[in-house]
Amino acid sequence: MGRYEGNPVWDDVVPIPQEEGEGALAQIAYTDEYVEAMGYLRAVMAAKEHSPRVLDLTEHVISLNAAHYTVWLYRASTILALDIPIDKELEWMNEVALENQKNYQIWTHRQTLIDHIFPTLSSDPAAAQAFADAESAFMAEMFEEDAKNYHVWGHRQYIVRKFNLFDSDAELKSIEALLHEDVRNNSAWSHRFFLVFSNPAYTTAGSRATEHDPKIPDAMIDRELAFAQAAAHEAPQNQSAWEYIRGVLRKGGRELATLEGFAGEFVRIPEGGEEDIRSSHALDFLADAWSEKGELDKADMALRLLGEKYDRIRKNYWDWKRGLLRGAKV
Amino acid sequence: MSLVTGPGRASISASSLPTELQLSIAAHVKYIQTLDKRKDELEYHLTEHLRINGIYWGLCALHLLGHPEALDRDQVVDFVLSCQHENGGFGAAPGHDAHLLYTVSAVQVLALCDAMETLDERGKGDRSSLPGSTSSESGILGVGRYLAGLQNRRTGTFAGDEWGEEDTRFLYAGMLALSLLNKLHLVDVDLAVDHIISCANFDGGYGASPGAESHAMQVLVCLAALSVLGRLDAVSDKEKLGVWLSERQVDGGGLNGRPEKLEDVCYSWWVAASLSIIGKLHWIDEEKLTRYILECQDPEQGGIADRPGDMVDVFHTHFGIAGLSLLGYPDLVQVDAA
Ligand SMILES: [Zn+2]
Repeated sequence: MGRYEGNPVWDDVVPIPQEEGEGALAQIAYTDEYVEAMGYLRAVMAAKEHSPRVLDLTEHVISLNAAHYTVWLYRASTILALDIPIDKELEWMNEVALENQKNYQIWTHRQTLIDHIFPTLSSDPAAAQAFADAESAFMAEMFEEDAKNYHVWGHRQYIVRKFNLFDSDAELKSIEALLHEDVRNNSAWSHRFFLVFSNPAYTTAGSRATEHDPKIPDAMIDRELAFAQAAAHEAPQNQSAWEYIRGVLRKGGRELATLEGFAGEFVRIPEGGEEDIRSSHALDFLADAWSEKGELDKADMALRLLGEKYDRIRKNYWDWKRGLLRGAKV
Repeated sequence: MSLVTGPGRASISASSLPTELQLSIAAHVKYIQTLDKRKDELEYHLTEHLRINGIYWGLCALHLLGHPEALDRDQVVDFVLSCQHENGGFGAAPGHDAHLLYTVSAVQVLALCDAMETLDERGKGDRSSLPGSTSSESGILGVGRYLAGLQNRRTGTFAGDEWGEEDTRFLYAGMLALSLLNKLHLVDVDLAVDHIISCANFDGGYGASPGAESHAMQVLVCLAALSVLGRLDAVSDKEKLGVWLSERQVDGGGLNGRPEKLEDVCYSWWVAASLSIIGKLHWIDEEKLTRYILECQDPEQGGIADRPGDMVDVFHTHFGIAGLSLLGYPDLVQVDAA
């Protein structure tokens, strides 16, 4: 007797009853198939069987329902128990991942297996490089379907850390390619920040993303600012680029005012005339730069424009900021 | 509880929008009640791996709607206990492996049912092998030890199961359940707080792990964990975070989870609850958000969808109602953002 067979709490698994109408038959066949496969899965799990036929069975169940987490765990334990090469598994996983964009279990599974082979892999730099390249190529394929898939980006960071790709030219280039395609891809911006500002070669170990890191060379800060400034010119209302600029300035310990001229290119406020605002983010940036320099009236004017005209949905926030300025004045 | 979508669709078209949108409380109660009677649908079986979460979402929504009695309490408690394993953890349904997320849902359901003591009376956690515990509280302790065992004692974060996938979601879930069980002393709280701090990003938000992109759900779990632990002081720049969160509101009133993504009722909850925890809910247009959530309901058959026109489901029903409660919608029980 298996662990699940005859278990009364499984009485609620009832196949779909016969229905009239088109499509009903196909559905019934599908359910029967799933219910039957699950029955066998439960039986082998109860017997703790780890064999090649378990791989077939789990593959079948996953093809029917990739979100079932238990089947993934059992498949991984079977592969580890059999200690078989994982190339074929990776190939198969690529297909499953492409078909199940929202599935996250597959990424845990993938990392479990990569962790398993990594000690062997890392003893051969060429093989490790080839492996990392293949992972990148596969992720590029995933990004073609959804360039903001959170699980894939998580895996990307895992691979960068595992194979130390921080200095990899190809890694930076591929992020640039994604941003070239969609300059508003916040995931790609976020990964770029991770790549550049946690590179162990020139950053302080453990430096937080939100703090100044004096170890970072000026040239690196300049390079990143230039990249993000060009992107802001391309799409002035792109929030990601402006956040990136602020993030880089803080990493470099530089004041916002150092880019006042740049932000000013997006904002024209003539005396007494109608203003011309090409980016509310630029106006926001200038408000902070001006308040940094103590030019509080100018800052207040920018905040007022934001709350009344350019970002009305957040009027309460802009009013709150104006209140802070008034507090600073007295 | 079934995770089946439909049958309803968020069905108010802009042209038929009444000036005064109302939450269809009776329809939603009925919708949740009938969810578990749909075992003849394929989707019921395909979503079994979420069953216990579904019960939590449904039951929590009923509590907020002021109708906790709409589901049979004893049946719910029996089902939850039937998902428990010898190691103290719970699976999503009987026969599914124990996992932190389902264990948390189980604890939350038992807390909602005011039935935590059933863990001591009837729980499966192995009580005999726990030295130093009195037998009367050992069932609860067994669950607490299962959860505490998932904390990574090097980094402070939590794994979801014995396979070690880590995510700030798990950290929050673990801390929340441990606090409900009154067993926070079993884990290293300071290390967990340090881990959350290391997940803060340059844009003010938080990600699933250090360096991972800011994401509204990850922001909420980080804030809620800090709130449960009484350590909101660890949020270094609440203004920047509030700015990032409030920027999630789109012109239609709904909120998205990341820049340039579509708005969604569940993200609306994650963002609004986060703003509420840091005291900045008023930075968004609350009226517009209320309206957006109401546009996502099926007023006749009940249930709430992710966005207008889509199929309803229990997940978005729960988050929609929780969101409205947070926004002070009349006739709803006050929700706790954390
Ligand atoms: Zn959603």
